[in-house]
Parts: sequence; C-alpha cells; structure tokens
Amino acid sequence: MAEQLSIFELISNASLLVQGVMALLVLASVVSWMMIFQRWFFLRRAQAEVEDFEEHFWSGIDLRKFFVELEREESLNGIENIFASGFREYTRLTEQTGIDADAVMQGVQRTMRVAVNREEARLETHLPFLATVGSTSPYVGLFGTVWGIMNSFRSLANMSQATLASVAPGISEALVATAMGLFAAIPAVIAYNRFSARVEILMKRYEAFADEVSTILHRAAHTRIEES
Amino acid sequence: MYWLRQYSAPFVLALGLHGIAAWALYSGWTPEQKQLNVVRPQAVMANLLVLEPKARPAPAPVSKPVAQPTPTAKPKPVSPPKEDSALAEKKKADALKAKQEQEKADRLAEQERDRLERQQRLNELAQSSLEQAISTESANLQAGTAEMVAQSYQLGIYDLVRQNWSRPPSARNGMSAKLLVELIPTGEVVAVSVVESSGSTAFDRSAEQAVRRARRFEVPQDNAIFEENFRQFYFLFQPEDLLR
Repeated sequence: MAEQLSIFELISNASLLVQGVMALLVLASVVSWMMIFQRWFFLRRAQAEVEDFEEHFWSGIDLRKFFVELEREESLNGIENIFASGFREYTRLTEQTGIDADAVMQGVQRTMRVAVNREEARLETHLPFLATVGSTSPYVGLFGTVWGIMNSFRSLANMSQATLASVAPGISEALVATAMGLFAAIPAVIAYNRFSARVEILMKRYEAFADEVSTILHRAAHTRIEES
Repeated sequence: MYWLRQYSAPFVLALGLHGIAAWALYSGWTPEQKQLNVVRPQAVMANLLVLEPKARPAPAPVSKPVAQPTPTAKPKPVSPPKEDSALAEKKKADALKAKQEQEKADRLAEQERDRLERQQRLNELAQSSLEQAISTESANLQAGTAEMVAQSYQLGIYDLVRQNWSRPPSARNGMSAKLLVELIPTGEVVAVSVVESSGSTAFDRSAEQAVRRARRFEVPQDNAIFEENFRQFYFLFQPEDLLR
C-alpha cells in the first residue's frame, strides 16, 4: 500500500457515466453558489433600499415632490417602483375629470398590486433553481454511486479471487459522486430556506407599504373630490 | 450588460469557493499513515491457566488397609490324643481357653497399635502431600507465566509478520508454511529458512520475505525465556483471512 489514492485519480479512474454525473454535480454546485451569492447581494440591497425608502417617505416630505424626484431616476426597483406606479396612476386618473374617488382608488390599488407582484417575482428569481439543486442533486449523486458500485462488483465477478483491495477503489470512487451531490445540495437547501424567509419578510413589508400608500391616496382623493 | 453586472461577481466568488474546496480536498486528502507502535499490554493477555489435576496428589495408596491382621493364631482343633482322660481333657480345654483369650487380647492390642500407626502415617502423608501439592502448583504457575509471556511475544511476532506480509496472488486459505527463525537476544532476525513448504513457492517466499522485512521482533528481556523460546523457533505461518 505504498501509493495513496488521490481524489483526482479516483475521479479520473471512474467510468464515463460516473464522470458525467460528477461533472453535472460540479456544474450544479458552481451555478447554485453563483445564485446564492447573487441572491445574497440582491436581497441585502433590497432590504437596505426598503429601510432607506421608508425612512425618507415618512420624513414628512411632500409626496408629489418626492414622486418627481423618483421619476428622474433612471431605474426604479423594489419599493420605489410600488410607490411610483401607484402615484403615477393616481395623478393620471385625477387629472381627468369625471372620475369619482372610489374609481380612482380602485385603479390605484390594482396598479400597486401588480407592482407588488412584479417585485415578488423579481425577489424570487433563482430560488426555484436552488430548490431543485437542493432536492435532486443527492439523487443524482446517488445514481452515480450506485452505477459505480454496480460496475465495481461486476468486474469483481471476473476475478478468481476477491480481496478487499480489488473492490475498495471502485466503491471509493463511486462514493465520491454521493459526496459531490451532498456538497451541492446542502448549501442550496440552506440558502433556499433562508432566502425564501427573507423574501417573505420583504413581501410583507411591500404589502404593508402598498396599503399605507393607498390609505394616503384614498384620503387625498376623497378630499380632492369633495373640494372640487 | 445588466446580466454581466449582476452575475460576474457571484460567478467569480463561486468559482473561487470551489477552487478553495478542491485545493483543500487535494492537500488534505492523504492522511499520513502512521506506523502504529502498539505496545501490547501483557497484563491483559488473559490466558486461562488450568490447575492441572496432576498437581493434586493421587489418593495415597498407603491408605488402603494393607495391614490386615491375619489371625495367625487360629484355634486349631488340635487333634485330640486318643488316650485323653476327662481330667486331662478339662485341663486341656482350660489351657486352650486361656490361650485363646490371651491371643485375643494380643490381637486387640496389636490391632489398636496398628490403627494408631496407620493414623499417624496417614497424617504425615496428608501433610507432605499438601506441601507437595503447593510446591508443584507454584512451579506450574511459574512455568505458566513464562509460557504466557512467551506466548504474548509470539503473538506480537505473528502480528508483525502479518503486517509485513504482502499476499501473493496465488495464496489460498489454509496454506501454511513452517519457517525456522533464528534470533539474537536483541530480537534481530539472523536467519530464516523454510522447513515445511506450503506447496506454493511464491507463498513460501512471501512468508520468508515477511519475516526478513520485519527485521526485528520484540523479545522478552528475560534471558531464560528468550533462550527457551526465541533463540531458534519454528514459525507456522498460516494466514486465515483470505476469502477463497
């Protein structure tokens, strides 16, 4: 037992199918980690934006001025988008005459609901991918392992004498596939759970904020109609 | 453009993470194989030491009632002389009776003496046999410990040879080779030779090679035990764990 089996030797000795499975799992792991980092940055930024925006919003600033300020920005995302779309709809509807306050409010609420849904979709991108990797890559790895062990035992049948040393490398290299599957799956599952919890929290805040905006606009619409 | 900005940093990070993982796996993969230098605790080598029944004295054969006092003096019906008169007859009968009584007393006394003597001898015998038993037993024990020590070292030697043995492809279960091994008191192997072949030269050679490769065995410090068991000994090499 002078020579030690390096893990890379094990991989290079494995059969083609097992190697394919391993490559797939490495790819899945890389991509899922990419998604994890991307989502991590994205959600962190979204969270910070919400904090910033709400602080700004409730600081007693004039909403119309605030809206104009927002419209000047090149891209709106997250909570800004919800507010901007609601307020845009409100100004558009109130500019036209003959629309009563309830109809205005219905329009505003609908637009904001659409915006909230769109934001939800943006927050949740890639999460299904993480869920898929988390749930399937153990099976893929297991498949590679079973295949490798099958072959290793089949080749054993041709030998006149079976020693542990003749089976062990095959089993070891087959088990590498399972290890890789788990290596890909565990972070993906953890990240999926964590990120979906954070998305849920953010969604709660978005919805609450949308309700608050519609309350404000509701009040404004009714007073305006009565004045006119 | 947007895609590139969003995903380039995560991509680099993910690749870096996997690179680190692969490197860690590569550098930390081979655990250094430590040569385990296990000192076999000899106190634990339990060896059932049966107190041989031969240590017990055979029930003293002397205790058999050998001295069966043969009634030597049998009242012999002496052939009565024909010419006896009544007086003579009576006298004679009296004398006979007296004689018989005397004899009877004598016999009783003798029996008593005999009995006492036997008792004493039995006592003596019991004493001596007890002492003898004790001494033989302790001798046995001593021999037993020496044997035990020798045995534990033999096991160690066997293990060492097994470790150094590389199994030839032709090895089969049940093969055994008898080797004559000569050691010097430091435990170094000075000579190995095959005494009884297993039938497979490859196996014989591998066994011999294993002994040579071990080079040095642990041997007892006690010179007597060494001389008796390890100066020159036969080594039956018979690995049993082969599958077929």
